[in-house]
Amino acid sequence: MVDAIQFAFDILSFISVMVLVVLGLGIIASMMGIFNFAHGEFVLLGGFTVFMVADAGHNAWWGIALAPIVVGLLGLVVERAFVRRFYAAPASAILGTYAIGLVIRETVRTFLGGHYESVPEPWPDFVTIGAISFSAWRSFIIAVTIVVIGGSWIFLTKTSTGLKIRGSLENPMLARVCGISTARVYALTFAFGSALAGLAGALIVPLYQLSADMGLRFLVQSFLSVMVGGVGTFEGPVLGAITVGALVAGLPWLAPPVLADPVALLIALLIVKVRRQGLISRGRK
Amino acid sequence: MPKQSGRALAGGLDRRRMLSGASALAASGWMAGAGSWLLRPQRAFAAAPIKMGIATDITGAFAPWGNANWQVAQFVVEEINAAGGIVGRPVQLHLADTATDPRIAVGNVRRLIQEYRVDVVLGGISSAMRQAIKDPIVNRGRTLYIYPEQYEGQECTKHLYCTGPTPAQQCDELIPYLIKAQGRKRFALPAANYVWPQQLNKYVRKVIEANGAEIVFEEYYPLDQSEYSATIGKIRDGKVDCVFNTVIPPGVQPFMRQLYEAGFQHNGGIVTLIYYDEMSLHHHPTRELNGLYCCLDYFQAVDDPFSKGLQERYRKRFPDTKYPFTAGTGATGLYRGIKLYETSVKATNGDLAREAVSAAFDRAKLENGPGGGAEMVPGHMHCAMNMYIARCKAENNTARYEIIAARTMVDPREC
Repeated sequence: MVDAIQFAFDILSFISVMVLVVLGLGIIASMMGIFNFAHGEFVLLGGFTVFMVADAGHNAWWGIALAPIVVGLLGLVVERAFVRRFYAAPASAILGTYAIGLVIRETVRTFLGGHYESVPEPWPDFVTIGAISFSAWRSFIIAVTIVVIGGSWIFLTKTSTGLKIRGSLENPMLARVCGISTARVYALTFAFGSALAGLAGALIVPLYQLSADMGLRFLVQSFLSVMVGGVGTFEGPVLGAITVGALVAGLPWLAPPVLADPVALLIALLIVKVRRQGLISRGRK
Repeated sequence: MPKQSGRALAGGLDRRRMLSGASALAASGWMAGAGSWLLRPQRAFAAAPIKMGIATDITGAFAPWGNANWQVAQFVVEEINAAGGIVGRPVQLHLADTATDPRIAVGNVRRLIQEYRVDVVLGGISSAMRQAIKDPIVNRGRTLYIYPEQYEGQECTKHLYCTGPTPAQQCDELIPYLIKAQGRKRFALPAANYVWPQQLNKYVRKVIEANGAEIVFEEYYPLDQSEYSATIGKIRDGKVDCVFNTVIPPGVQPFMRQLYEAGFQHNGGIVTLIYYDEMSLHHHPTRELNGLYCCLDYFQAVDDPFSKGLQERYRKRFPDTKYPFTAGTGATGLYRGIKLYETSVKATNGDLAREAVSAAFDRAKLENGPGGGAEMVPGHMHCAMNMYIARCKAENNTARYEIIAARTMVDPREC
């Protein structure tokens, strides 16, 4: 029983990390049809913001609050300056965003001097209940993930802005005819996805070291999640992230860790093979 | 640092290297060039210079380690030249960036040999790097090579001398201490999946079993694994009381975090990271490092006047540097290598021919160095040196090492 609870908590906390990281990527991919290869670097910038704020001697909470704003604004600038030129050619968008990511990654590396930095979390300790220990920060991440999923879902499905976003995706021409500025909607969506990436980075950086390659670590798993879940809906990438997260965290219990990674990839690819459109395939046809 | 380049290389793009290289060089006051740089002696010498090649990772994942090596090389050579050079000849440094990538390294190292015709090459951080560059240096290049890092041992190539600690030097004292003095009985060996931990753990297993303790599990992970709950579960269920950890960055940070959060140290468990030095202290929140055991040839807490003076002069030469003079980076091994080379050339009375210098190096002795002197063990390619067991102490958000035990002139037991 004790083991089962501990196991469930460990898996859930890693799934939360995966979902947080994937969410921004999934929203941009689903709602705009753009695969943002700079996503990992947006996550990195979120973490970097917290590091800078904490390094300047301020409370880390300020950094966590600031990260989505900073990265969201950067996303806005990036969309207006570069990404909007790629809507007609999604393949070029992959290269273009990769280049942007590269610039960000190397700039951060310059600032860090190649070092690995530890970033403190505001709630450092763990809670022990009986024989089980829960990390306070991981518990907080699980809670935030649930709130963020709920909030994003409501934003995209229940608000008029969300309707405009989905409308611009389904039929951009008709949306423009209806008086929706699709350019503005796309910019907003990209900024929103970027802000989520910034938030993810800010929340997960205390769990990992801040280094320039922090975003790269999650890149493959994130894209796999989006593929497994399917592009075109909000739920798809979330479900994909849950699947991939559970595989990555769960398999090392069953197989040697060196094998667990490839096996997780294999299973994910099998899912993609069986369900070409991903787990959830409604939405964009 | 015997680490492998690993996945950092997957996105290996030259632009990235150039950018990070430029930053590292800007930090140390250097201009970027095409993979190699030159440091001329400052004062005028009548005699032709001795050309010393430094091949280390100025850019890429091991840049912090490589830059520490390069700074120490500059520091030592400047001191040698200020004192009149070696047998009246100045030392001129040539730097080749090995860029944490053996493919790039081989080309740059070849330039040291063929274009600049250096008399000796020192450097290499990871064992993969040493393996890649030793042939162009020692065999095809017919040049003396000195490898400064602590590593997994078993490097017995002629004209290749190792001046960093070997598994015997790092484990023969530490493991019996953990078992006998600390009463550890059940070890776990979580490790990064590459040559250094795999070879080192073979030795570790022997020492642990010879001392009557048990290994609960030995397990290898991809270098950038970010989730260790399964491993932590095994540590908990297996009633492990000592984690002999050879996971490396970037995997080591989440591992240490999850181990701490599982209450391992809180419940009396001991963790070792034998390659950790003062530079690694800011890689983790200090509370996770409290009680960590390390074993190296030098710690800044070593209290002998020579080491203290050395550290002081280094800090003066590189004030506020991000790359301190520590042992885990291989910088102490590099210091030893350069000074032993100086001794050898003095012994040959300025003859720089490889066979002559190599014969002298084989018997070279160094009276003083960081952590104490060193002596080459003739015919064994490695050197005896002082070893220290240190424990990390965290107080008020700062961490430092306390020396727990010291042993003088430990035999490398290699070759």
